[in-house]
Amino acid sequence: MSWRTVLPTIVAITLGATAAGAQSTSYKAPRTGDGHPDLNGIWQALNTANWDIQDHSAAAGTVVSLGAVGAIPPGQGVVEGGEIPYQPWALAKKKQNFANRLTADPEIKCYLPGVPRATYLPLPFQIIQGAKSIMIAYEYANAVRNIPLDNPGESPAPAWMGWSVGHWDGDTLVVDVTSFNEDTWFDRAGDFHSDALHVVERYTPRSPDTLIYEATIEDPKVFTRPWKMSMPLYRHVEKNAQLLEFKCVEYAEELIYGHLRKKPSK
Amino acid sequence: MRTISFIAAMLLTALPALPHHAFGSEFDVNKPLKLRGTVTKWELVNPHSWIRMDVKGPDGTVVNWMIEGGSPNSLFRLGFNKGSLPPGTEIIVEGYQSKDGSNRGVGAKLTFTDGRQLFLGGSAPGANPDDGSKK
Amino acid sequence: MDIFEKNRASKLFTSVIVLALLCAIAAPGQVATKTWTVQHTPDGQPDLEGYWSNVTITPLERPAELAGKEFFTEQELAAREKQAETPRSAEEIAGTIAHYDFHQYGLDRTQTKHGLNLRTSLIVDPPDGKIPPLTAEAKKRAAERAEERKKVGPYDGPESRGLGERCIVMAHEGPPMLPPAYNANLQIQQGPGYVAILHEEIHDTRIIPLDGRPHLGPNIRQYLGDSRGHWEGNTLVVDTTNFNDKTNFHGSGENLHVIERFTRVDADTIIYEFTVEDPTTWTRPWKAELPMTKIKGPIYEFACHEGNFDMVNNLTQAREQEKAAEEAAKKNQK
Repeated sequence: MSWRTVLPTIVAITLGATAAGAQSTSYKAPRTGDGHPDLNGIWQALNTANWDIQDHSAAAGTVVSLGAVGAIPPGQGVVEGGEIPYQPWALAKKKQNFANRLTADPEIKCYLPGVPRATYLPLPFQIIQGAKSIMIAYEYANAVRNIPLDNPGESPAPAWMGWSVGHWDGDTLVVDVTSFNEDTWFDRAGDFHSDALHVVERYTPRSPDTLIYEATIEDPKVFTRPWKMSMPLYRHVEKNAQLLEFKCVEYAEELIYGHLRKKPSK
Repeated sequence: MRTISFIAAMLLTALPALPHHAFGSEFDVNKPLKLRGTVTKWELVNPHSWIRMDVKGPDGTVVNWMIEGGSPNSLFRLGFNKGSLPPGTEIIVEGYQSKDGSNRGVGAKLTFTDGRQLFLGGSAPGANPDDGSKK
Repeated sequence: MDIFEKNRASKLFTSVIVLALLCAIAAPGQVATKTWTVQHTPDGQPDLEGYWSNVTITPLERPAELAGKEFFTEQELAAREKQAETPRSAEEIAGTIAHYDFHQYGLDRTQTKHGLNLRTSLIVDPPDGKIPPLTAEAKKRAAERAEERKKVGPYDGPESRGLGERCIVMAHEGPPMLPPAYNANLQIQQGPGYVAILHEEIHDTRIIPLDGRPHLGPNIRQYLGDSRGHWEGNTLVVDTTNFNDKTNFHGSGENLHVIERFTRVDADTIIYEFTVEDPTTWTRPWKAELPMTKIKGPIYEFACHEGNFDMVNNLTQAREQEKAAEEAAKKNQK
């Protein structure tokens, strides 16, 4: 990618004010055996997007007894331009979600997180890259996505993690994700979507140990226009880094089924 | 006869543990159902799919039933999808009602009104098998 | 009928395994080619990638009637396979007629390709094809577990149900991986330095590093254990430890140790062997093998916990039944 194509892109982003960094870089990642940029590795986002994808100050959490541990840490948002272009009804719904988040956030029940939330959960994920398909395995709830690099045909039914199709655009892996159900959120703050959600992700190597991740969100039922989030992803460089089991269903059972126990705990 | 008992023994011992089922826990063998109604929604979820259907009672009131089916994933593999059982389709369900007598049941036999099986035809051996021929 | 082919000479596996593939309908099967060339992934690993199923009609243990008989003849196997072509009723599989028809949904064993096996049991060692005796410690453990179960009713709470019903993990995921009643589908994906095994049910991915790193320390325990792999020629050898004590593979505890071997012998077949050892559970290690057969992909999402209405329904019904019984008892007392 030459200077000339990179410079206008950087200018365009800084006008947007809240972008996380240059979308295109001059870094050329090492190649896999089949000639594509090597995205293999264990990666993690280092931000508070899972709490709230927009700018947010520190705030009290929803569980008093968790005190400072349960408080919301401050963070700059990952939404380019800052605003999420909700339709008026949807903005009201988001606020309602926020008010009800302790009972309504699917993450609390250990439900699959959807895309792009899976990317910026505070837990690592691993990219296992083959020539014909790429698997992304997430530590959270053993969520997983398979991203074929050829045409997998149509999705048969809506899914929590959607239906992904990948292709290479220069040094960027582009993943087109459709066929979502309406049950996931974008964060703990109640940002949501409908079953018309369409996400286009871009994973671009930025340096040996960082990627730039971008996700364009389109949902004509909820938003007035497409919008975008972006953030760096950091490689886990510690020796022997590995994904561990976080099978959180067990930790949500009391919450979901506790009232149906023979001797209810409540 | 030795051969038959040997084969029967093979079949019995070949049964691996059922992945997740509560044997006979939710539905009542003593509450058989035969329902005729129209599909309102086909929920293609796991571990069980559900067919929601409107059934008109003898007094004319319409009741929506929730009928449990199998995991849809093998159907996907054979080309079925969310459009394969559209709302408005009239079906006949023979099965068993839930133990609590609510409008929920399990569909042991599912047919269209002309008698054709809903998904994979009959118990003909290997009907619509995953033999790779659709690769 | 189909043509079977024996492959006796290979040093890769000790049993005689028939590699012809039988379609679920009685159509002529493919005959495995003797001269399949090993393919490689871009990073040079022998290629195991694709979608696989380990459905089989061979039981884990050799039935009593077949004691001493390690192999079927081709005719006996053909007869057995023919018998197995008849779809099983829901009652046979689930133990109740109040169940959906598995075949209607493509979930019957007859509706999935499977490899043929002349063996009368998956277990090849001990030679009697049976799981070795439990140690005294294991018997005590089993008794203690049974005692614990007696303290609670079958529907007192979610923990009263099995791990599969709770959508936590399915037994067939192992390791070792044994065929379930349905949905044995898995995907193998390889990347530089890793082999990943994704089980459709319940979307667990075993990510196996090949760099020779040590196992996790003893204080991290996992349902699927902790796997480490390396290649021996064209065979992937996977060593798994660090199981938790809930895995309970045929009575095992935390000390379960599994060694798996994956060898692809043709485009459509991986021979899967496993050795299980746990001196605190069995008096000796035991070993089994079975073919994994290529199936049509992809792997579909199996969001089990998210759709687990049955847990709510079963617990609700149990409470209603208790309440009804209480009220009936009160009425009787009046």
